[in-house]
Amino acid sequence: MLALTLVGSGVAVIVGFVVVVLLISWFSNPPFALGNAPAQPVAFPHSVHVAEQGIQCEFCHRNVTKGEAATVPAVEQCLFCHQEIVGDTEAQQVEIVKISDSLMLDEPINWERVHRLPDHVRFVHEAHVRYLTQIDASDRTSEEKVQAACSICHGDVANATVVQPKPFQSMKMGTCLDCHRFLTLVPEDEGYVLPETTDIPTDCTICHK
Amino acid sequence: MKLTRRNFLAWAGLSAAGAVACEGFGIREGEFDLQSPVRLPEDLVKGQDNWYATLCRNCPSGEGIVVRVMDGRAKKVEGNPLYPVNLGKHSAASEAGLQALYHPHRIARPLQRNGPRGQGEYVQLAWPDALDILRQQLQERGNSTLMVTEPLRGHLGTLVSRFAESVGGRHLGFETLDENTYKSAVKNLFGQDLLPDFDLGNTRFLLSFGADFLSTWVSPTRWSVGYGEFRHGGENERGTLYQVDSRFSMTAASADKWLPIRPGWEGHLALSLAYVIIEENLQPTGVDVGTLTGGKGAAALEQFQPETIADRVFMAEHLRGPDGVQATRSLAREFAGRTPALAIGGGSAGAHSNGLFNLEAIYALNYLVGSVGAEGGLRFNPGSPLEGVPSGSQAGSLSDWTEVAQDLNSGKTRLLLLHQADPVHGLPGSLRFRQALTEPSDLFIVSFSPFLDETSALADLILPDRVYLEDWGDDVPEPGPGHQVVGFQQPVVNPLYEIEPRSFPDILLTMSQELGKESELPWPRYQDLLREGSDELFALNRGSIQASSADEFWNKLLQRGGWWDEGVTGARNLTAPNDLLGRIAAKAAGPRVSASGGSGETFYLTPFAHNTLLDGRNAHLPWLQGAPDPLTTITWQTWAEISDRDAKRLNIREGDVLLVESAAGSIRVLAYPTPAAPPGTVSIPLGQGRNQGSEYATDRPGWESANVMDVLEPRQVEGSGSLAWASTRVRISKAGDSVKVAKFEGVVRAVEVGILPGERIIQTIAPHDL
Repeated sequence: MLALTLVGSGVAVIVGFVVVVLLISWFSNPPFALGNAPAQPVAFPHSVHVAEQGIQCEFCHRNVTKGEAATVPAVEQCLFCHQEIVGDTEAQQVEIVKISDSLMLDEPINWERVHRLPDHVRFVHEAHVRYLTQIDASDRTSEEKVQAACSICHGDVANATVVQPKPFQSMKMGTCLDCHRFLTLVPEDEGYVLPETTDIPTDCTICHK
Repeated sequence: MKLTRRNFLAWAGLSAAGAVACEGFGIREGEFDLQSPVRLPEDLVKGQDNWYATLCRNCPSGEGIVVRVMDGRAKKVEGNPLYPVNLGKHSAASEAGLQALYHPHRIARPLQRNGPRGQGEYVQLAWPDALDILRQQLQERGNSTLMVTEPLRGHLGTLVSRFAESVGGRHLGFETLDENTYKSAVKNLFGQDLLPDFDLGNTRFLLSFGADFLSTWVSPTRWSVGYGEFRHGGENERGTLYQVDSRFSMTAASADKWLPIRPGWEGHLALSLAYVIIEENLQPTGVDVGTLTGGKGAAALEQFQPETIADRVFMAEHLRGPDGVQATRSLAREFAGRTPALAIGGGSAGAHSNGLFNLEAIYALNYLVGSVGAEGGLRFNPGSPLEGVPSGSQAGSLSDWTEVAQDLNSGKTRLLLLHQADPVHGLPGSLRFRQALTEPSDLFIVSFSPFLDETSALADLILPDRVYLEDWGDDVPEPGPGHQVVGFQQPVVNPLYEIEPRSFPDILLTMSQELGKESELPWPRYQDLLREGSDELFALNRGSIQASSADEFWNKLLQRGGWWDEGVTGARNLTAPNDLLGRIAAKAAGPRVSASGGSGETFYLTPFAHNTLLDGRNAHLPWLQGAPDPLTTITWQTWAEISDRDAKRLNIREGDVLLVESAAGSIRVLAYPTPAAPPGTVSIPLGQGRNQGSEYATDRPGWESANVMDVLEPRQVEGSGSLAWASTRVRISKAGDSVKVAKFEGVVRAVEVGILPGERIIQTIAPHDL
C-alpha cells in the first residue's frame, strides 16, 4: 500500500513537474507574447525616435548589421542628442534626466529584454539583415531596407510607444525553420522578391550551439 | 496517511529533487537584463569611414576638401592636402558645409507662392508639376529672362550662360562686394584677365593696403598658408608685414605695423612711396624707372611728395607733420630695401569713388621693386585648360544692377531665375531692388535656393537645389596658384530621406531638352558634361594624373579632387608700359564722400565682410554665427567699432544701441568702443540683418542684427562701375537702449603685460630695441 502511494505520488509530481516546465518554456519564448510588455527603467518611446525623428534602427543598435547581437546603445550615445534635447513635458524631462544621471553617476542602465532566445540557440542579426536587404527590391534607401528587415521579426517597433513582441509571432524553432525553408515571414507585397527555392541552410548546427 | 519515518524521508527527498529541478528550469534572476554601457565603446562606432575629395562652395575661393563619410552620412570636413589652392588647410566656412547639409530649415520640395509676393505663403508641389510651371514660363517669357547666379566658374558657368542664351535671355553674376575694380586694375596694369596669386612664402616685405587677406579677402585660406611660410618658412628670413588700412582688421592685427589711413587716400600714399623710391634711387638694379615715368623720373610724381600729402593721408596724430613725412620716407626705404617685396591692395582701398586709381597706384609699386611675375611677388595665372570653360568669373557691377532694376521696373525683364544669389540683401537699400521685384505685376521669379533668403522669399516658384556635398561640379579657381588647376566636386552623400532637392544644372538640362534646345545643351545630365571635361583633360596627356584609360583618369580625378599641371604657368617678368606712373598720377583724385543725413556726429563708414558669414551668404549656419569675430570676439550680432576717444566724448558705452544714419537710410547697431578704431571712423560688419529664412539668421531684433547695406549710398567706383561701398559718411547718435554684447572677451580690457613691477619677468620690447 505504502509502495503504491509512493509510486502514485511520485508519478503525479513528475507529471506536474513536466507540465510546469513545458508551460514555462512555452510562455517564456517570447516571454511577453501575451501583451504584457516588461516594465523598462526608462520609458523610451521608439515612436518618437524612429517614426517622428527618422532615426534609423542601426544608428542606435549599432551592431545589427555587423555581428551577432544587435546591441543597445551606450548612454553616451543617447546624450549625443539629449545634451541639447531636454524634453518638452515634465514626463519627458524626468526620463531624460535618468539618462544624464546614468552618465554622471557612471551607472549603466539595465533594460529589460523583450526578445530572448534560449541559450542553446545562436542567432546572428547581421546574416538575417544582410539576406533580407538583398532580396528587398523596393526603392527604399539602404537604411530603410534595414528597418524593414528588422520589422519582419520585431513588428512595427518604429511606431511603438512600448516595445512588445510582434503579436502572434512565435519565436519557436518551427517558425525559424518555416522561414528558412519557405520565407514564410517575409511579406512579398512589401517589395521583397522571394526566390523560387531558398538555399538557406537548415542544418541543426547552423542555429544550435 | 500515517507519517512514518520512511514516509517523511521519501516526501522530503521528492520535494528537494522537485525544488532543485524547478529552479534549474526556471528563469534565472537577471536573465532578461540587457545592459546599456555608459561609455560608447570605440569599436562600436558604426560602419566604415571613407574620405571623399570634393570642393567647398561655402567659400568663394573654392577650397579643396575631403569629407569623412560613414554609412552614407557626412561627418567631418577637412582640407584636401593635395589640392594646390589650399594645400590641406580649410576655413570655418568649409567646416560648416555639414550644417548646410543637415540644416533643419532646408526647403524639402518645390514651393509655389500662394499669397501676396513676399508674405511667405507657399504650397508644396510635386516635382513634375513644378517643372511644368518652369517650362511654361520659359516658353512664354524666355526672351525676357535674366538669370542671376553667384559668380560662376568651371562648367557650370558655361552651362548657365549657354542656357540663358538658348532661351533668349542673359546671365549676370552677383556678388555683394565684387572684385571688378581689382580685376580692372590688374587688367590695366599687367594686361591679365585673371587675378594673380601672391608668392608670399618667398616675400620678405609685404605692404598691404586695405586687403584683409588673412580673413576674408579673395582667397584667405590660400594666403594664410603662404603667410605661415612668410613668417616662419624654412631657412628664409622672417618676413615683415605692414598693413595700411582705415580699419584695424585681422590682417592689421597680425601685422608688424598698422598705419591707419584716411579712407580713400591709399593711392596717394602709394604714389608718395613711389616718389621717394625714385627720388632716393632705392629701386633694385634692373628696374627701368625711365620707362615707368616716361623719362621724367621723380618729377612725374612731384605732387605726391611726402611733404605734400602726409598730412592728408594719415589719420593718427603721431603721423602728422614732419613725423608723417619721415614715416612715409622710412616706409619707402624699407619697402624697396627688403626685396623680394610685394605691395597688394583691395577691400576698402578699392571701394571708393577713386578706388581704381588707388589699386593701380598700389600695384604699380611692384614694378618699382621688380616683383611683377617674379619670385616673392605677383604670380600670374595661366588660362583654363578646358576649351570654352573660363578661368575667371564675372560679376555684375553696381551700374549693371542699376540697369537690371530699370529693366525689371519697365517690364523688359519678365522672368527672373535666381541661384545662390541674394541681391535684395546684398545691394544697397537705396537701389530699391526689393521694390523692383515686388512692384512689377508681370514678373515671374524662380529661385533655385535650398534655403529661404531675402530674394527667394519674393519668388513665385522655389525649386530647391542640392547642397554642394550632394552634387557634382567643378572649378577653375581664381586666383589659381600660378599654374593650371581644375578642381572636381562629387556628391559625397545622398540627400536625407525626408527632402527631395534636385540639382540646378540637371534642371537646366532637363528644361533645355523639353524646350527642344538639345543642340545647344546636348548632355542628359550635368555629370555627363563634367565627364566630357575629364576626357578632355585626359586627352591633354600631361599634368598630375597618369592613366591608361579615360575611365581610370576619371576615377583618379575624383579620388584626388582635381587635376593640375605645375608645368603650365602664367606670364613672368612682365615689363611695365611706358610712363605707367605718369598715367596713373594723371588720374589721381581724392575720394568723393557724401554729406551724411540725420543729426549727430559724422564718421567715415567702413563696412567689412564678416569673418565667417562673409557678405551674409552663410548667415543661416549656426556654427558660423557662433564663431567669434577674431578681434572683438562678438557672436550672433551686428556691432559698430568706434574709437574709445569718440565713444567717451559722445558718452557711448559698449552695448549702447546706436542709430547710424546716412542720406540713404538708417540702421541700429550695438556700440563696441575699442582703442584700435581710428578716431572719426566707424566700422560695421556685413552679413546680418536678414528678415527671411532660417531662424538662425533672423531671430534677433533689428538692433542686434542689421544690414549695413541699408545705409550705403549707390556711389560707383569711377572706371569700374562697382559699388564704392566704403565711401558713405554717417551720423551716429544713441538710440536710448543698451543691451549686453554677446562676446567671449571679458569685461575687463586686456592690458599690456610687463609694465608693472611684479611683471618684470615678461617684458615687451620694441623690434628696434632688440
